[in-house]
Amino acid sequence: MRKQRPSQSMPPKIDGEQQESQNNPSQSTNTVPQRQPNRKKRRQHVLRAGLAVVAGRAAGAISRRLHLGGGTSVVGIVAQRIYPEIIEHLATQIEYGTVIVTGTNGKTTTSGFIATILRDSGLRVWHNREGSNLMRGVASLFVIRAQPNGQMRRSGKRAISILEIDEATIPQIVKAIEPRVAVFNNLFRDQLDRYGEVDSIISHWRKAISQMPATTTLVLNADDPSIAHLATGFSGKVLYYGIDDPSLDLQKQRGDSEQYQVSDARTCSNCGHEYRYDLRFYSHIGHYRCTSCELQRPQPDIRATQVQLDSFDRHRITVEHTGQQHEIIVPLPGLYNVYNALAAITAAQAVNTDWQSIITGIEQSKPAFGRGELIQAGDRTIRLLLAKNPTGFNEVLRTVFSEGIARHVLFILNDNIADGQDVSWIWDVDFERAVGHTQSLVVSGTRALDLALRLKYAGIPQKEMTIIPYMPLKGEWGTHQTRQQRGANKKQKKRQTLADPEQLTSQIANSYGLKSALYSKHPLVKLSLLSLRIQVY
Amino acid sequence: MSDGFTQPLTLTLGHLYPDQLNLYGDRGNILTLRRRCQLRGIELRIVGLGIGDALAPDEYDILFIGGGQDKEQAPVAQDLHEMKGIGLWAAIEDDMPVLAVCGGFQLLAHYYRPAEGPDMQGLGVFDAWTIHKGARTARCIGNIAISWNGQTLVGFENHGGRTYLGTAKPLGKVLKGYGNNAEDSTEGAIYRNAYGTYLHGSLLPKNPHFADYLIKLALQRKYRSDFDTGQEKPEEFNGHIHIDQMPVDDSRQLESTTDNIASSLLPLDDLLEWEAHASVLVRLGLRNEATAVLTAQRMRKG
Repeated sequence: MRKQRPSQSMPPKIDGEQQESQNNPSQSTNTVPQRQPNRKKRRQHVLRAGLAVVAGRAAGAISRRLHLGGGTSVVGIVAQRIYPEIIEHLATQIEYGTVIVTGTNGKTTTSGFIATILRDSGLRVWHNREGSNLMRGVASLFVIRAQPNGQMRRSGKRAISILEIDEATIPQIVKAIEPRVAVFNNLFRDQLDRYGEVDSIISHWRKAISQMPATTTLVLNADDPSIAHLATGFSGKVLYYGIDDPSLDLQKQRGDSEQYQVSDARTCSNCGHEYRYDLRFYSHIGHYRCTSCELQRPQPDIRATQVQLDSFDRHRITVEHTGQQHEIIVPLPGLYNVYNALAAITAAQAVNTDWQSIITGIEQSKPAFGRGELIQAGDRTIRLLLAKNPTGFNEVLRTVFSEGIARHVLFILNDNIADGQDVSWIWDVDFERAVGHTQSLVVSGTRALDLALRLKYAGIPQKEMTIIPYMPLKGEWGTHQTRQQRGANKKQKKRQTLADPEQLTSQIANSYGLKSALYSKHPLVKLSLLSLRIQVY
Repeated sequence: MSDGFTQPLTLTLGHLYPDQLNLYGDRGNILTLRRRCQLRGIELRIVGLGIGDALAPDEYDILFIGGGQDKEQAPVAQDLHEMKGIGLWAAIEDDMPVLAVCGGFQLLAHYYRPAEGPDMQGLGVFDAWTIHKGARTARCIGNIAISWNGQTLVGFENHGGRTYLGTAKPLGKVLKGYGNNAEDSTEGAIYRNAYGTYLHGSLLPKNPHFADYLIKLALQRKYRSDFDTGQEKPEEFNGHIHIDQMPVDDSRQLESTTDNIASSLLPLDDLLEWEAHASVLVRLGLRNEATAVLTAQRMRKG
């Protein structure tokens, strides 16, 4: 029953395109001129594509062999070097087209949901996983599945690609691929050092959307004011999703202790006046209307009328679509994951998937790496939660401390390029929520000290934290010390250690990285790491 | 009136545009000031001053302005001129400590010239101006350390505009990073007790000496100046305070007040703060400075 024949409910995209190009040749030649090249050119392209595929895959194999890395992104880099239009060339061969997913938070989870749903409906799903969401990652995904003759495997029959795309890469990807469905999930301040400010992302996205053909279906979050109005001026089909459950309103939930909320969309994109919220779920997500002009939240096509927390880590939601109601279990914690599920459901609807596949697909989804992932270690349960920005982190904290149970928590803060080098956003996170709710607290990462400082100012005594910095911070690093001074320092240190056993502990904790701490024989370090129940990344 | 001095010290912080200019963890600066006051028994009241609110300089002891996005800065610039300009000028001329970070810094200089569009007028507190040279010039992004008063300040900078100083004194000299314009290794600007800087990250948590310095300036201005003027220039109060209401044993109370200020800024246990400070210095390759910071802390402790 579930494995339906897609040929009936999902007319192949190619047909539609050909019709399109016959009806409206000027538009199609404008947007993608290399669609109908002459025969000679075509053969050249095939040759070049074949060469690119061979070279890319060879480079990947070598890189894996030499242990230079995972060998995935190098495939794309080499292939693109040889044939810059390799993505365009291969993407057009995929029978059921491409679904792209973007947004600040939830890209990986949402595309994971969509992949499971569509796989369930009987399609061959090509999905770029775990952060290979830049151009080279997409190129790798395609090249790995292509043949030396420049064709996709099985000529892309019954295949659909689901691409999680980095916010800033959207303009490039839209130039290369005409997406069948484009999902925009949310927009928050995130890695300002990498992306620039929130507004510049919006203008990039608007530009990209204006370049999309009318055959694209836009899937937009009605509850995020910066997303919902991206479609202005877009001629294709637009589907909205949103939550219509008033019991989730922040004020109703915790009227007494209204937490600090970062809002990244405060003023109307139309007239610049402030929004007023009838319901507010988190950050700037909710039911809003402009105080001055007509702009307000659009009525969603797919709406969750009821959202209930089933247990710590799953939600039971009722989804309404064209008068029909469906009950779905979302096997992940956090309201943001309900939005991710709704985005996936709407995207699946946009490619005409049946509800049975949608329901089982969502329910069977496994959390992506670090996004609520569960690890069982003996009788302990470890949960990995990843957050990259204030809103994401606030939601994670809300999830972790929602039941009022004191937990063992490990916070890790890094500032590598992919994490964002600017860590000032931690000051916008409500760590105050964690005060008094931790049984043990370990802080680590390349910016462990920054995070520990944030926790200290949130009101958690330093004594209750075990800080494991990335590298030991010693005062003796300077090269301008005389031998005498160094000797004196050593003596002083020794005296301290002898006098104060607690000092010893902190010194040991200080001198190990996290990895070595895992193998540490020191009882305190070992205890705190073994007894972790929740890791908040 | 004499009980006034046995009561705990209070300060009022005016947080300008908390809703519009809060982009880079500016909340951290406020949290730091509040906590450091709290630990010393000083009550710090925080008043948010949004668009449309007037700024009455007598009601505040210290002011803070954060940074925001270009879109949000335009209405703020207008409001700063129309609603708060005179009050802010009066406060600054009266030596009120003001900390302006990033966008706030740019708004207190003469003007901000974006890559496209009209200039955004600032208040001109600092004799400085900012020019955005277009999308082709890279933004100044990264960790930064500067020297200030013989010590270091660390933070993170992220700004597209380049700021050039006229006669304004820089806050410090760039040790590593870009600073105002990536050319002349100046960072920030000072006018009287107003400090403009590009350092966020947040600035004050990792720079406790600077946070305390601002608190001290505010306390001195509020409590000592009251007394100094009361004692030395009573004629200024003509018509406001009757001489017979003036406290009799002036000198003793003056002592107690200054004592109060001194004791209220007792050193706190800032080892974690300084370790975080030093870790940024180490990341920037400034190991000698990091060593100096940590040894100074150990000396103080031990």
